[in-house]
Amino acid sequence: MSLLEFARGPAIHWSLIILVAGVIWRLLGVLVLTRGADLSRPRDAFGNFKGYRTVFSRSWPSGEFTTATRYQTIMAYFFHIATLIVVVGITPHIEFIQSLTGASWPALPNALGVAIGTIALVSLIALIMRRLSKPKVYCSNIGDYITWLLVATPLVTGLMAFAHIGPRYETMLAIHILSVAVLFVWFPFSKLMHSFWFIFSRAQSGLSYAHKGVRI
Amino acid sequence: MSTQATMTPVFPTFEQVFQGFAGQIGMLRQMAPKPTLTDDVRVERAIDTLIAETNADEAVWLESCIHCGQCTTACHYFQATGESKYAPMRKMELYRRVYQREIGPFRWWYKLITRPIKLQDLEELQELVYDSCSECGRCTMVCPMGIDTASLVHHQRSALVAAELVPPELAALHAEQKHMGTIFGASAAALMKMVDTIRDHYGVEIPVDKPAAEVMVLSSAVDLVANGNGLLATAKVMNHLGVDWTICSDGFESANFGLLSGDMSLWKRQVDPIVAAAKRIGAKTLVIAECGHAYPALRWNPMVKGEDLPFDMVYMSEYMGRMAKEGRLKLSPIEGKITYHDPCKTGRRGGAFDEPRAVLKAMDADYVELPSGREYNWCCGGGAGIFLLERATRLRDESFKIKLNQVNATGASTVVVSCASCRLNFEAGRVKNHWDKEVASLVELVADHLIDQPIAAGEGVRA
Repeated sequence: MSLLEFARGPAIHWSLIILVAGVIWRLLGVLVLTRGADLSRPRDAFGNFKGYRTVFSRSWPSGEFTTATRYQTIMAYFFHIATLIVVVGITPHIEFIQSLTGASWPALPNALGVAIGTIALVSLIALIMRRLSKPKVYCSNIGDYITWLLVATPLVTGLMAFAHIGPRYETMLAIHILSVAVLFVWFPFSKLMHSFWFIFSRAQSGLSYAHKGVRI
Repeated sequence: MSTQATMTPVFPTFEQVFQGFAGQIGMLRQMAPKPTLTDDVRVERAIDTLIAETNADEAVWLESCIHCGQCTTACHYFQATGESKYAPMRKMELYRRVYQREIGPFRWWYKLITRPIKLQDLEELQELVYDSCSECGRCTMVCPMGIDTASLVHHQRSALVAAELVPPELAALHAEQKHMGTIFGASAAALMKMVDTIRDHYGVEIPVDKPAAEVMVLSSAVDLVANGNGLLATAKVMNHLGVDWTICSDGFESANFGLLSGDMSLWKRQVDPIVAAAKRIGAKTLVIAECGHAYPALRWNPMVKGEDLPFDMVYMSEYMGRMAKEGRLKLSPIEGKITYHDPCKTGRRGGAFDEPRAVLKAMDADYVELPSGREYNWCCGGGAGIFLLERATRLRDESFKIKLNQVNATGASTVVVSCASCRLNFEAGRVKNHWDKEVASLVELVADHLIDQPIAAGEGVRA
């Protein structure tokens, strides 16, 4: 079995299984816990429902915090959107998804894919630069750096493979796929789970403050 | 006791109150109970408390932090000191470790890779969850995950109660309220004495222990042992409104050192007699004195089923605001530019924003909102019992400068507060910084601007 065959075969498949099982295990492990009851009378009878707005409204920081959060918010948006587009928008990824699910859609032109991938990588670098330059603010731990590295590696190797830079294409592609496999395995155990938690976390706070008639 | 009715002030000014109070706080440290349990038991009890208090809400919040650092923008203690340990996200690290090791879905893994909790960890936690977090909730306003750090901090206070690690001043008051039912010795006898003084010197009647009344009013230890003007002002306002009101000698204390220290059972226990008294007299409204944390202690007490209560619980500012909106408070105009500081516990964590502003509007105030007002208000730095902690003096003084600059930016000459703890902290800040602003309590301000003669209690229209 060549490296590429290993990467495309057992490596990526097992990592996907770990990803899905791990995510389900972690979500269920938390969400099956009981909910604490707040017995106090809500300020408005149906006011609590308004708390769900926070799930959406917290997608952009309040004007109160604009100055302090601008750089990070904009970079984070560039990173998340660009990464998402690359993950589902370029030909090799669509072919991989099709091989798993059968679903397929038109791909972006290659040049555009490279451009967007570069945006994702540059914004990710911009974020780590800030994290490194303000240690007191970020209080980073080892998990933060591992996560950054494991997210950056597929971007770097993917761009290299796409642009035919570095080792032989097949080797580069294998390295890229393996780096994604490592990311998938890391995902359920790391802060990357915020891609699920944010909905619950925002909703909970939105509800508990709405209970008191406060909009957060 | 003098029976001579005179209007000569007998109560000290608030500056004197503040100075006297500082002396009393100093004595608390000597009165603090010493730990009685072994180190292992204390750690075990802390962990058990956190396990017991962790529901899905807490678990999700502990899982959600991505170390994005934005909470540091919102925290007055971090902003005032620039010290990394005061970053709000770090105030939940120990709780997360307990959660990951004991409750989380990967606990078998975290037991292998994380250190068990030691007493020293809990001792270090004390500064983070008492001295440097007033549970003001401002960090929740910026957190992209919306994590409610304040409530996570509160659970850790509960854990430290179990571990006998409450800071000495809070521990002394916690012990006093738990064993004697008083705070600073403010017993029913102290209440009666204050009521007599107010009647004799000011001619203002305070109806105590009426068998039935529409409105039950609470007082607080600060008013009973130091700032008599607070209770006097409350009485003047209630009598002016002409409502059928009373104070119950078996349930008058607003302050709750169960809530402040983190002792959930004492929190509940202090509330029970108040609820019982209000039910007994058939009150429709319970008015909570200007004592910020008393609002969440009563109105937002998660352990008291609100639907079953035959009465509403309102904060003093809220009650006066409602009366002002109904046109029942007749107030003379107030001079000068005024701004209002929302106490964290009644504002962002209480929701009583509009009512105090309605009161100031009824005084025709030249009102100006603080920059970062309402939901975004900065804590004064002394909330959640921190005003009492000597060790937290530097944190309080430094963070108060944020407040000072904010008030200065409005150009107001008076800043109105509606919380005894905020007011004491403002007074400390005013004196230390030789600040040229006046700090006023909302209820005392209203009492000073009432237009007509007070109506004797119980004779006027009913609430």
